Amino acid sequence: MFLASCQEVDNWDEPNARLYGNVIDSYTGQNLLMDQNDWQIRIIDRTWEAMNPGTVAQYQSLAVQRDGVYNNSKLFPGTYDMIPYDGPFWPIDTVKGVVLKDKTQQDFTVTPYLQVLNFKATLDGTNLTLSCTVKAPIITGLPNLYEVKGFLSLTTFCGNSNYINIGDYNNLRKSINKTWAAEVGTADSKDYTLGPYPVKSGYTYYVRIGANVNALSRRYNYSPIIKVVVP
Amino acid sequence: MKKKLTLFIAIFGLVVSSCHDLDLEPKGILGEPELFGTEFGVKKYFTGLYHKLPIEDFIYYVTTGYRPGNRNEWQALKNGIEQMSGQTFGWNVPMRDQGFGYWPYDDIRNVNVFINNFPKYKNKYDVATYNALLGEARFLRAFFYQGMAKRYGGVPLVTEVQDPINGTPEELNVPRATEYDTWKFIYEDLKFAIDNMVGKSEPGRANKYVAASLMSRSMLYAGRVAKYTQYLGLEGEASVQQGLAGVDRSKASEFFQYAYDAGKLVEQGPYSLYTKNYPDKAENFANLFLDLSSPETIFLKAYDGQTYGHCYDALMSPNPDFSSFVGVEMGPTLNMMQMFDFPAITDAEGKPVRFNNRSDIKNGMEPRLKGTCYFDGDMLRGKTFSIQRGIYVNFNGPASDAQYGSNAAPVNATSNRILGNLGQKYQGVPVTGNHGMFSGRGAENNAFTGAFIRKYIDPTITAAQATVNKSKQHWIVFRLGEIYLNTAEAAYELGNRVEALDYIEKIRERAGCNVTRPELDQTESSTYGYPIEKSLQFIRDERARELYVEGSYWWDIRLWRIADQVLNLYYPHILSCYYVFSEGKYIFIDEINRDNRSITAQKRAAYEPIPQAEINKNTNLLPQNPLW
Repeated sequence: MFLASCQEVDNWDEPNARLYGNVIDSYTGQNLLMDQNDWQIRIIDRTWEAMNPGTVAQYQSLAVQRDGVYNNSKLFPGTYDMIPYDGPFWPIDTVKGVVLKDKTQQDFTVTPYLQVLNFKATLDGTNLTLSCTVKAPIITGLPNLYEVKGFLSLTTFCGNSNYINIGDYNNLRKSINKTWAAEVGTADSKDYTLGPYPVKSGYTYYVRIGANVNALSRRYNYSPIIKVVVP
Repeated sequence: MKKKLTLFIAIFGLVVSSCHDLDLEPKGILGEPELFGTEFGVKKYFTGLYHKLPIEDFIYYVTTGYRPGNRNEWQALKNGIEQMSGQTFGWNVPMRDQGFGYWPYDDIRNVNVFINNFPKYKNKYDVATYNALLGEARFLRAFFYQGMAKRYGGVPLVTEVQDPINGTPEELNVPRATEYDTWKFIYEDLKFAIDNMVGKSEPGRANKYVAASLMSRSMLYAGRVAKYTQYLGLEGEASVQQGLAGVDRSKASEFFQYAYDAGKLVEQGPYSLYTKNYPDKAENFANLFLDLSSPETIFLKAYDGQTYGHCYDALMSPNPDFSSFVGVEMGPTLNMMQMFDFPAITDAEGKPVRFNNRSDIKNGMEPRLKGTCYFDGDMLRGKTFSIQRGIYVNFNGPASDAQYGSNAAPVNATSNRILGNLGQKYQGVPVTGNHGMFSGRGAENNAFTGAFIRKYIDPTITAAQATVNKSKQHWIVFRLGEIYLNTAEAAYELGNRVEALDYIEKIRERAGCNVTRPELDQTESSTYGYPIEKSLQFIRDERARELYVEGSYWWDIRLWRIADQVLNLYYPHILSCYYVFSEGKYIFIDEINRDNRSITAQKRAAYEPIPQAEINKNTNLLPQNPLW
């Protein structure tokens, strides 16, 4: 009887459409530097509403990987609205009516709030110093510059989702929370030096700096990751 | 066969005849006429509603809510909002910014049943009593609604008794009202309650001044929402654009004015700040929460230690000397202690101050803090608190050498810093106090932060009586001290700065502070990235001091819209006392908590999400609150 009752399959096709693409930094033309699952792309299935009058479709979130690529191969075909939401970039318009069939690529170009440039990691014995230049290409309307923070990790995954989360390191971040004019003035960039971070001999660290502004959930704009081998 | 038929007819006849007279009002059930037709009936009806009011007291649990009568209250206390928001430290309570899905439309329905049907029984009452009872119902409804408004902003405003069977989806799926309309609705209910109730009631029941107190608090909340939500930078969010989350900033002074007026009305009532135990201001402050005849108490939630007990005494003081259950679960953080007048623990050169005795830390301490916390040397239930973290063989440098207690600091090498457990000795000297701080034990039953909570502790019971569900202190929902702070904040926001400081002075006078009246300072405070005057910042800090562990702080920082900034990798610090062996003196070191645990609230904590289960039933509740 149990076997028999398991024989039944439902009458739905499996979700088999694939939606994928890149999130591109408008300044570099490359994929946005980020940590895995820092923020998501929201999609809303409008076909569902058309098929079921009176209902309101709610969004699903697609995770974005740390290389700025997203890829989901288990979605129902249909027409979707899409928006990269709550990321470290100026708000962009919802992309409406993305038709998802078998495979659909949809890239997004975003304008980051901040750029973290000239990132350097200097090792002196077991003291690690990080430095960078934080640049705001667009200052008009920029929310408060919130903080500049060093992220240290023992794996190649490094950023706000994966870092050594201890007070000794966290307290070395530079908390600012001031307008750009109050913190930097009229220039469009400022240098920051963080540390020294006490690191352990014999370990390999992956480090980067993130800077954020007080917009939505304050996601970070990152520098590239540097590998530091402590002898 | 025939016999059977006869029998059947006989039985059938019996059944029919016995049914004959049954269409009577059952005598064992209290129906609406009994409940609504007499004052005692109404009292009985209201009792259940009072019991479920959203009050964050001894039994509030951040993940499951108000839990009345759950009988597992010890879990609730160690999972309270004080722990979550970093006012106390001990048991790990993860950030629960999504709340527990509070959605009390069943209770609101019960109130609406009364409000809609009570007029049928009008002829059984004199006008004053009738109006007062109706006012009390409006007070109850406002209480439930403000419990939602402070979480969600705008919510559906249901004033009718809905018919789930014959109602159409359009009638039943009530959309969210704007946040402005929600707070105004609460205002209207409370205005009616104030206008129709008298100024006296039995303890635990509302009256005119209780309603005014709720008005004072909730309108202050609304004013903050209107004034400070703009700084969250959420203008692009659908719920904000539609006014469901957030109130236009131009409405702020309207709400602050309501709060101010309500506070003034409460002052006309028979209340005064508690001063019975003067001149000992520490003792006085502690007794304010225990004295049943305190003239400061406006409204309380009663416990009896039998049917309704809680575990406050069992969980706030260590076992076995002071309690007989799992032992202490939380202590005050040094961050909070240092908001009060607190003795210097480092000197001008940055070196730790030397003390002859551990309890000398209380010299020069604000009496209110001594009434709020127990320190080494204090007595409770016939025993003396004894708190020490360890021994330094030598400590010659500045306090910063200790690097906030980091094991990596050279001065904290195990040969120089001796830590241990109860009874352990170093060259004949005990390493720790009798009640902590033990290195081999976690947060439970350990003076994890270097002090214990005193506020609300009942010293009259024995250690054996301080056990699970046996505590019987009442929870003070409103007291005049809070109303003064509400009025001060509202007055300051309205520009009545001097008057605001008058109220602060009264509070600080009773607290025994060194400086009772702070200078008016209108320069900008940059603590939170949005501009407020330093004196207003002082008023907010005064609120955190006076209302410490009274269930207010989490809502305050959320509604000032600073929860994400105050709790941004916030490390609870602890007060660690060490015996310096080479000198025979004691020092106090500011250390990061030993779990290296920090607390972070995201910006989304400004609003809780509308519960998904409710959206699934009613999509008119969309759009969801910002960032959820």
